Amino acid sequence: MSVGIETASHKAYTEGETTGIPMGKIGIWWFLASEVMVFGGLIGAYVLFRIANGGWADQAEHVNWRLGAINTLVLVTSSLTMILALSAGRSGRHQRAANFLLATVLLGLTFLGIKGVEYSREIAEGFTPASGMFWSFYFLMTGLHGIHVIGGIVFNATLYIAAVRGTLWSEHHEDRLEFAGLYWHFVDVVWIFLFPLLYLA
Amino acid sequence: METAAEQHHEAPAGFVRRYIFSTDHKVIAKQYMILSLTMALIGGFTAYLIRWQLAWPETDIPGWGPIGPDNYNAIITMHGTVMVFFVAMPFLLGAFGNYLIPLMIGARDMAFPRLNMMSFWTVFTASVVLTISMFVPGGPAAAGWTGYAPLSDNPIYTGVTWGQNLWILALALEFGSFLMGGINFLTTALNMRAPGMTLWRLPLVVWMELTAAVVFLLSVGPLIAGALMLLADRTLGTGFFRPDRGGDPLLWEHLFWFFGHPEVYVVALPGFGIMLEVMPVFARKPIFGYRTMVWSTIAAGLLSFIVWAHHMFVSGMDPRLATPFSVTTILISVPFALLVFSMIATVWGGSITLTTPMLFALGGLATFIIGGVTGIFLGSATTDIFLHGTYFVVAHFHYTLFPVTFFGGFAGLYYWYPKMFGRMMNETLGKIHFWFTFVFFNAIFIPLFAVGTHGSPRRIYELSSYTYLQPFQYLHVIATYATIGLFIGQLPFIVNFIGSMVRGKRAADNPWDANTLEWATTSPPPHENFEHIPVVYRDPYEYSVPGENEDWIPQTRPEPQIVYAAAD
Amino acid sequence: MMSTIENHDREYIMIWVWLVLLLGAGMMVFTLPIARMPALALIFGIAAVKATLVLRDYMHLRSERMLVYAIAFVPVILALGLALVLIPDIVYRH
Repeated sequence: MSVGIETASHKAYTEGETTGIPMGKIGIWWFLASEVMVFGGLIGAYVLFRIANGGWADQAEHVNWRLGAINTLVLVTSSLTMILALSAGRSGRHQRAANFLLATVLLGLTFLGIKGVEYSREIAEGFTPASGMFWSFYFLMTGLHGIHVIGGIVFNATLYIAAVRGTLWSEHHEDRLEFAGLYWHFVDVVWIFLFPLLYLA
Repeated sequence: METAAEQHHEAPAGFVRRYIFSTDHKVIAKQYMILSLTMALIGGFTAYLIRWQLAWPETDIPGWGPIGPDNYNAIITMHGTVMVFFVAMPFLLGAFGNYLIPLMIGARDMAFPRLNMMSFWTVFTASVVLTISMFVPGGPAAAGWTGYAPLSDNPIYTGVTWGQNLWILALALEFGSFLMGGINFLTTALNMRAPGMTLWRLPLVVWMELTAAVVFLLSVGPLIAGALMLLADRTLGTGFFRPDRGGDPLLWEHLFWFFGHPEVYVVALPGFGIMLEVMPVFARKPIFGYRTMVWSTIAAGLLSFIVWAHHMFVSGMDPRLATPFSVTTILISVPFALLVFSMIATVWGGSITLTTPMLFALGGLATFIIGGVTGIFLGSATTDIFLHGTYFVVAHFHYTLFPVTFFGGFAGLYYWYPKMFGRMMNETLGKIHFWFTFVFFNAIFIPLFAVGTHGSPRRIYELSSYTYLQPFQYLHVIATYATIGLFIGQLPFIVNFIGSMVRGKRAADNPWDANTLEWATTSPPPHENFEHIPVVYRDPYEYSVPGENEDWIPQTRPEPQIVYAAAD
Repeated sequence: MMSTIENHDREYIMIWVWLVLLLGAGMMVFTLPIARMPALALIFGIAAVKATLVLRDYMHLRSERMLVYAIAFVPVILALGLALVLIPDIVYRH
C-alpha cells in the first residue's frame, strides 16, 4: 500500500521505503550481523585455545575429512540451486524455481544425513563432547551450524510449499526467496570456514 | 515477513487479537511496560530482603523468614538478573522504544509487526522461565547476575542444578527477544520515516534507542556463544570454562563483559534520550547542540565495545591489558560528559516548569552525574584495585542504572502517559512520588559509598563478623530504612498509574505544547497512529524561536513563504 | 529480457565451478606433503576466496549499497577485535 504525497519539497513518498532498500533485506542483514558475532565469538575462542594448547593434533586427526569435503561440496551446490531458484522466480519461471527450491531442501537434508553418519561413527569410536577440548569445540560448532541448517531447511521448505501452491508469486512475497537465500548462503559461508578450521587444520 | 504497509487498516475486533496477541506497537509497548513493572515488584522485593539482611542479620525478615548464605547468593543473583534484563530493558527499550519510534518518525507501525509480537511473547516466556527457576529443587541460580564461571559452571560450588540451567535458558530467550526487537527498531527507523523526516530531524530519543539496538545486536553474540558453552559444560561434560578439563574461566568473564559493558549503554542511552525529550519541553528551549548530541551518542556506542576489561582489573587477566582499558574507559566519559553538559545547557536560562516529568528528568541528571563521576574512580586500574568488590562499586552502578531506568523511565512514563492512555496523571501524587524516590534513593546509596571506601565487601550475607566494619554498621541501617522509605514512596505512583486510567482528566492531543510527531495525532493515537502520514518540515526542538507568536513550532508546520519585507 | 537472465544463470554456474575448483585445490594442499604453516595459510586463503565469491555473487553484495556493507562488515571487525584482545589472556597464559 502506498500513499502518494507530492509536495514541493518532497518527492513521491511510499510507506516503508525511505532508504530504497527493501525492509526484509535490511532486517535479514541485521540478523546476519548478529550471527556473525555469535560464530565470531565461538571461532575466536576455538582458534586461540587451539594455538595455546599446541594444536590438539592427536584429537583432530580422528575427524573424517573425506566426509567433510563431500559435505562442503553438497552445501556449495545447494547455494547454487538456491540462487538459481531466485533467478528463475524473478524471471517468472515458477515451476523451475520450485524445482530448484526442492533441490536445495534435499541437498540440505543430505548435508544433515552425512553429518549424522559422521557423528554416529565418532560417538561409536568413543569421541564425545567430553573427550577433550577439540571434541568439545567440534561438537558445539558443528552442532550450532547444524541447527542453522535445520532452520534454513524449514524456511526453504515453507517457501517450496508456497511456490507449489502459487502463494509465493505475488509482489510482496516473492522477495522472501531472496531473504531465505541470503540466510542460506550465510550458513554456507560459515561452513566454508568451519570445514578447514575443524577438518584440515 | 509481512510488513506494516500490507496490513489491514481496522483494529482487530476480538479481545485476544486486540489486547493479547496484538501486533499494534502501542499495545505491545504497554505489554512491555506492565511486564517490566510487574518484574520490578520481584526485583524490589529481593532488594528489601538484601537490605534487611545487611542491616539486621540476626533477625528474621518480615514476610520471608531467615536467610542463609546460599539463599543470599540466590537472592542477589535474582535481584541483578531481574532488574537489568527484565525491568530496565523491557521498560526502556521494550516499552518506550516500541511506543515512540513509530510515532516519532511518523510511521503506522513497526516494520515487522508480527516479529514485534513474537519478541514480546518471547521475553514474557523468558520471565516465566526465570520465575519458575526460583522454585525448582536446588534453588535458583546463585552465581551472581554475571554468572561467573566456574561458580556457574560446576554445581559443586553452589549446589544449584536446574536453577542455573533455567537461568541460562531465560537469558537466552531474553537475548533472542531483544535481538528480534532490535532488528525491528533498526529497520523501522531506517525505512519507515515520514516524508521530510531526515536522520537529522529525528528526536534524540529515537537516535538513542537505535544506538542502543545496534550496540545490543553486535555485543550479545559472543555471550550467546558463551552461554552455549556454559550450558554444554553443565550438561554435556565439556570443559570450556573449567581449568581441570583444559578450559579457562577468564574466557567467560571476557565474553560476558564484552556484552555486559555495552549492555550498560543499551540501558543508559534510552534513559538519557527520554530525559532529553522532556527537558526542552519544560524549559521551552531547544536542545543545546543537537548534532553534537547525536555524534556523542554514536561515539559512546562505538567506544562501549572497547572498555569491557575494566570490569576485570582484579580477575587475574594479563596486566598489560589494564592500561589500554583504563584509557578507553576514561575516554568514554567524554561523550557522556558532553551529553550531561548539553542537558544542563538546555535547561540553563529556560522558563522551567517543574512538572513531574521534568522533576524526574532533572533528578535523573543530578544523580547520574554522581554515578558518572564515581565511575572514573573505578575505570582507572589503580583506584579500582582498591575499591573493587566493595560497596563502592554497588553504590556506583546503582547511581548509573537507577537514574536512567527509574528517573528516566518515570520521566517518560509521566510525560507520555497522556498520549498512551488519553488521560492526565495526578500532579500532586506524582510530585510526592518524585520527592520520596529522589530523597530515599540518595539516602540508600550515599551511605554505601562510605561503607565501600571503608572496605566493606559486597556479596557477603553477614558483615557483622568483620570487626573493622562494626563502626559503620549504622550506615547499613540507614540505607535499609531508606529502602523501606523508597518502597513506601512508590505507593502514590501505583495509585496514580492505575487510578488515572479511570479517573484522570481527559488529555488534550498535545497537553505539553511539544513539537515532536507523536503529539500531532490524537491522545491515545488511533489504530494506525495517524489519519494521514504527517509531512515533516522542521527540526524537533524549535522552542521559543524569536519573532514567533507561540513558543513552540510543531515539526509538521510548513516553513512560511519567504517574504522580502523592507527593513526599517 | 530472457537472454540477460539466462546469462545470469550462467554466471552463477561459473561461480559454482570456481567454488568446486577451489575446494579441490584446498584438498590438494591438504593431502600433498607441504609444510604445515604454509599449507594452513593456503587453505585459509582459499576459504577466504570462496567466502568472498559467495558473498559477492550469491549474496550479491557487489550490487548493494553502503548501508548493507556497513551492516555486514562492522561485526566482522568487532569479532576480530575481540579475538585480538583475548590473545594475551588465552594464548600466553598456557
